[in-house]
Amino acid sequence: MVVKVSNLVKRYGDLIALDHLSFSIKEGEIFGLLGPNGSGKTTAINCILALLKYDKGEIEVFGEPMTPESYHIKQDIGIVMQNVAVYNELTVYENIDYFCGLYIKDKALKKKYVEEAIEFVDLGEYRNFRPKKLSGGLLRRLNIACGIAHKPKLIILDEPTVAVDPQSRNRILEGIKELNSNGATVIYTSHYMEEVEQICSRIMIIDKGKAIATGTKEELKAMISLGEKITVESYDVSEQQLARLRELPNIVSVEYNEPLIVIKSSKGKNNLENVLEFIKKENIQFGKIYSELPTLNDVFLEITGKELRD
Amino acid sequence: MQVYKLCLKIIKKNIPVMLIYIFIYLSVSIVVTLSSSRQNNTGNDFTDTKANIAFISGEETPLIEGLRKELGRQANFINLPDKKEAQQDALFFREVVYILRIPEGFTQKFMAGEEVHLEKNSVPDSAKAAYIDLAVDQYLNTARFFLSTMGDVTQESLVKYLDDVLSQEADVKLMPAPAKTDVYGLVFSYNYMAYSLSSILVLGMAAIMAAFNNRDLRNRVSCSPVRETAANLQIFLASLTFAGVAWLTQIAFCFFFDIENVLTMNTVYLLLNSLVFTVCGTAMGFLIGSVVKGNEAISAVTNVVVLGSCFICGVFVPAQLLGETTLRIASFTPTYWFVKANNQAAQLTQFDLSSVRLVLSDTAVIVCFALAFFALSLVIRKVRRFS
Ligand SMILES: Nc1ncnc2c1ncn2[C@@H]1O[C@H](COP(=O)(O)OP(=O)(O)OP(=O)(O)O)[C@@H](O)[C@H]1O
Ligand SMILES: [Mg+2]
Repeated sequence: MVVKVSNLVKRYGDLIALDHLSFSIKEGEIFGLLGPNGSGKTTAINCILALLKYDKGEIEVFGEPMTPESYHIKQDIGIVMQNVAVYNELTVYENIDYFCGLYIKDKALKKKYVEEAIEFVDLGEYRNFRPKKLSGGLLRRLNIACGIAHKPKLIILDEPTVAVDPQSRNRILEGIKELNSNGATVIYTSHYMEEVEQICSRIMIIDKGKAIATGTKEELKAMISLGEKITVESYDVSEQQLARLRELPNIVSVEYNEPLIVIKSSKGKNNLENVLEFIKKENIQFGKIYSELPTLNDVFLEITGKELRD
Repeated sequence: MQVYKLCLKIIKKNIPVMLIYIFIYLSVSIVVTLSSSRQNNTGNDFTDTKANIAFISGEETPLIEGLRKELGRQANFINLPDKKEAQQDALFFREVVYILRIPEGFTQKFMAGEEVHLEKNSVPDSAKAAYIDLAVDQYLNTARFFLSTMGDVTQESLVKYLDDVLSQEADVKLMPAPAKTDVYGLVFSYNYMAYSLSSILVLGMAAIMAAFNNRDLRNRVSCSPVRETAANLQIFLASLTFAGVAWLTQIAFCFFFDIENVLTMNTVYLLLNSLVFTVCGTAMGFLIGSVVKGNEAISAVTNVVVLGSCFICGVFVPAQLLGETTLRIASFTPTYWFVKANNQAAQLTQFDLSSVRLVLSDTAVIVCFALAFFALSLVIRKVRRFS
């Protein structure tokens, strides 16, 4: 186990930020921590890094208890904080060089690593810029470079892609996969389910400091009753027709927000076919019609009764 | 030494701002040096208004009475307690320009032709004081002349002769301004350090502290394998390096503006004083850096604190022009004691323990300020960390 967290409890006064959180991460995984704002992702990360004192529980990293004095463990961890942490007095290059130098003493090796990190986040043309002159997205990329330059065995990224444009975001996600395939274990927190689905091999969904589900994305989706979501665009449908639609086999719910009819069905065969047949039979005029498999948002929605994102 | 290097880099990025203070220091020093040497050339600033002096005598004899009477022609006597601190303060605030202290047994020794010793203290650079000093010397020299030529005379007749002779010739005589060892220029270039050097120190220290007080950066560094004690030690060493370099640079300028006095004992005490003040400025920077957040705020606070204390402590405006209340408030800043110690160090003519003690006691006050600033910042940092 690279990371093993058991029964972690963290309180801020009356607020329980982490409520008996337990999980373990195997070597080579990209472990996703998915949860809405304020669910306790950052708190969990800070506990793992021994930045925060917690009220209860045990944390092991690389098989050893993690304490503020576990310097040899810290040597192998790379961290990309949610809040950008770079020195405004230093240029892009100097910042990466400084953080890399906290881990790597050999000058030649450090230089090589810094160059690779700049390459990795594609900041070559900005290397002599001060952070104040970088846009939000570029700053995020600098933050990432500072965290991963020393080629750590365990990389922790706390919402690294906030404010990054889709292109750069894809590049970063691909980069993380690449770091992972080169042997690094990754913990990735986000409230973007698409990102987590795209790169994570295992996902833990948390809400209000509690783990509500853990597994691969397939496992998570299999946990819920929703099998398919069919959306029909129509301006011409009556309440009676909607009521009859609800009677169809496997249909769990039907909602109509003009012009969209959202039909949720449980797992089963021929769901879409049944709906199409019904529409024809009832002679309902329709535009688009499409069917989606459940997303992690649906998983979250079904378990907690609320949307993952506002 | 990653953290050490980082600190120096942060300082380096602040050098352009620091140069502004050096520039101001240089311009003002040049102006002061030029104008004070012009004053020298205008020379005889004799006025016939009487000088305020203190005449303290350990004995009452006809000879002393005669001297007092003679000096009374040119001076008003101000009563001062026979305490060194009070006398130095009186000089500092220009209540008197000259203090003459006659030790007990003086007359007996003088009449016997033995070597005698008078304690004289004066405001540096004052023509009036020099004039009084000359009058004292003249009186005693003339007396000695009578004693040696006339042999056995009583004090009473000696005093009478002196009165006759001196009242005739010495009445109104335009005295040339005394040859100037330019104490004013010397002290100025050191006093003004309270502005330039402390601005630079506070700016640099505050910049370092700001970088390390940032919670995100502190957390980020805590995640690295660098030990906290090692990091703190490196920050400390970097501050030391910075303060040392700043001090040396400043001292070099002081020497430049007062090349004649560099090799005097006075300069030794001025240097000691400025070194202690450097430590104090560093501690103040540490404090400001621990309390104030953001670069703009830091430079604003620096300006207010440093500029303000320089104004009320007699760096820009001579202390004697400031009101008593102002000076009392000023005494709650290290700058006041720095200026006071400098002025006293420059006035030293004797370097025995009791004279030097006056300078050193003020220097000690600055040390206390430094310790207080340092302790206060540590407390603030501790409180911040736990909140
Ligand atoms: N220093 C603190 N003092 C008090 N409460 C805190 C503190 N830090 C976090 N919290 C609370 O703990 C809860 C969890 O916060 P945390 O930052 O871990 O959430 P998060 O999942 O990282 O959210 P986000 O997606 O917004 O980053 C929140 O309700 C937050 O208000
Ligand atoms: Mg967070």
